[in-house]
Amino acid sequence: MKTKISLTVLAVVLVALPTMAQKTPEKVVAAYDALANIILDMREAEYDFVVAVLDGHAHGAKILFERGNYEGAAAEMALFANEGDNAMGGVRKRLLEGGHHFNAEGEEQGVFEPGFVVVTREAKQKLLAASSALRQAKDDVARQAAWNDFAQVVKPLLAGE
Amino acid sequence: MITRIRSGFSLLSVICWAAGGAVYAAGSDSPLLFVDIAAEAGLGAPTWCGREEKPHLLESGGTGLALFDYDMDGDLDLFLVNGWRLDGTEIAERGRNLFYRNEGNGVFLDVTERAGVGDDQWGTGVAIGDVDGDRLPDLYVTNFGTDILYRNQGDGTYLAMAANPSVEGWSTGAVFFDTDADGDQDLFLAAYVDATLEEVLFAEPTLLWEGLRVMVGPFGLDGLGNRYFRNLGDGRFEDATEESGLEDAGLFYSFAVSALDLDGDRDLDLYVTNDSNPNYLYRNDGTGVFEEVGLWSGAALDEMGNAQAGMGMAAGDLDNDGLLDLFVSNFWKDVSTFYRNLGDFIFEDVTQELGLQQSTYLPLSWGTTLSDLDLDGDLDILVANGHIFPQADQAPTSSQTSFKQANLLLLNEGGRFVDVSARSGPGLAVVESSRGLAVGDIDGDGDLDLVVSNVDAPPTLLRNDSQRRGSWLMIEAPEALRATVEIGGNRLIRHRVIGASYVSVSDQRFHLGLGRTDQVSKLTLLWPDGSQKVLTDIEVDRVLVFSR
Repeated sequence: MKTKISLTVLAVVLVALPTMAQKTPEKVVAAYDALANIILDMREAEYDFVVAVLDGHAHGAKILFERGNYEGAAAEMALFANEGDNAMGGVRKRLLEGGHHFNAEGEEQGVFEPGFVVVTREAKQKLLAASSALRQAKDDVARQAAWNDFAQVVKPLLAGE
Repeated sequence: MITRIRSGFSLLSVICWAAGGAVYAAGSDSPLLFVDIAAEAGLGAPTWCGREEKPHLLESGGTGLALFDYDMDGDLDLFLVNGWRLDGTEIAERGRNLFYRNEGNGVFLDVTERAGVGDDQWGTGVAIGDVDGDRLPDLYVTNFGTDILYRNQGDGTYLAMAANPSVEGWSTGAVFFDTDADGDQDLFLAAYVDATLEEVLFAEPTLLWEGLRVMVGPFGLDGLGNRYFRNLGDGRFEDATEESGLEDAGLFYSFAVSALDLDGDRDLDLYVTNDSNPNYLYRNDGTGVFEEVGLWSGAALDEMGNAQAGMGMAAGDLDNDGLLDLFVSNFWKDVSTFYRNLGDFIFEDVTQELGLQQSTYLPLSWGTTLSDLDLDGDLDILVANGHIFPQADQAPTSSQTSFKQANLLLLNEGGRFVDVSARSGPGLAVVESSRGLAVGDIDGDGDLDLVVSNVDAPPTLLRNDSQRRGSWLMIEAPEALRATVEIGGNRLIRHRVIGASYVSVSDQRFHLGLGRTDQVSKLTLLWPDGSQKVLTDIEVDRVLVFSR
């Protein structure tokens, strides 16, 4: 992908070279404009992708909770809190190593974990607490309370609030 | 059963305790007293780790060590892993691993050449196991390069095996354990970052830290995958990482590993500390198939949900409830974390409750142990410390750190840990950049001594000359999972913990401080197949040896 984009840009620049004078050739500007759209769309696509992943974990948690598989539900809740499992964490690490921070400003302010896209630190803590509470719950009242705590945090995150 | 009786103090210990006690323990409320006797014991050779300025992360990790009885003469011998000394972009010295035989008179004799284990690759860690079922401890050394398996030939020598299970690159922690109950020992290897020697030799300190230029990493460097090798029973191993479920899904930066039964189902699970990433916790289903449950068990992150910089770890049953608790040592300006095991793979961060936040916040911590150092029946903590940046010595005062640091001794007083480092003798006043740590009764007097490896310096040998708060038992029971003793109405439980600390190996026997008592009313040993051995009315202060 990276190589293809680089070659495309190079090709456009080479084509435009004979006309280069006092201004940047229109074709170059157009190519950069197209690239900008891709870059900005990619960011939006990343956000949507992570929301879809989280939606999957939230949905999985709900189904398992309703089936009485509380360990499974708690695991899904923890995966939601961590924006996916360790394999997702590995991808996140790669992005960070490559210099990509989705919420750089939020990370500096301590709002987001490095590389996290949707789940804030505060939300993560609450979600993990709900997951742990569900696993330790001794009766249905405690289980429902843990689930409610989870659902309350999840809803605005998935809605983009 | 064979019973070896070793009573109380040696004369040497008594003399040293009296002398040291007059200076360090008088007026002190710490019963602990440690004296560094490395030099007089013959442990004067340094272990190397790169250049003084440490421009590459490899130069920060130090090396591990192992305390084990290689010649089966009843005392603990010492293996020290060695790295390389660099000068600019040149290799100044390829450090040779060091192997010392305990002569039983307070002296260690260098038997490296005779034993045939003096490899000079850049070593990192060590594991001890019995890969061929001959009941002799084999030796495995992790390297920055190809790892080496040495088979114990039973005559004081080792044979390096031609085809080794290995991680090519920077491997760190390693453990041998029988994952699948087939009677042989399999191997798990942790790995840190993917690096080449050229990158190490030509590294420059480019990261800005506290206004100083220091080494880069681990972020910015690619992780290297952990591997699992199944023992085929005929001396060969096969890579079974994926089918076992022991995949390093995030390619996290792994250091310490430990095999231990965390849910009491009599198979060994696996815990791996990861630097700057969530720690791994793999649940064994009893057939050698594992599921990574760290994120939802509560043992991968701290109570705030943060991934920490896991360096080393210890495990022990702090409250004698039959469940192993975990202690993970972490980076500077971050607490080391204590996870209480609530059962069913639920862990709770109780660092604050145990009084560990303040004492563990500033040190940069590595090898560690949960052991009863004063024989009073509860588990204390010792942590080896040292910063990764030599430049820490030039850091602003506000950093409150230095490259060389004193180790940390935390006395268990009624379930809370009290920092007694400054009141526990000259051994705790030693300031080095420490890494590995191994525990065992080196002088055979019944209490636990420690050896700590130091970066670019000889090791520290901490002889335990502490005031005794009780009696003891040492139990040698190979493969046993748990030793439970009952004294009156009280119960003490010690578990089999393989590996742990930091790329190091401690004595694998069960050691129990018993508090003030003359007799143990009942001892129960439990093996993985559910079989038990029960003894009643046992005299204290002795070594008990059991076979299956």
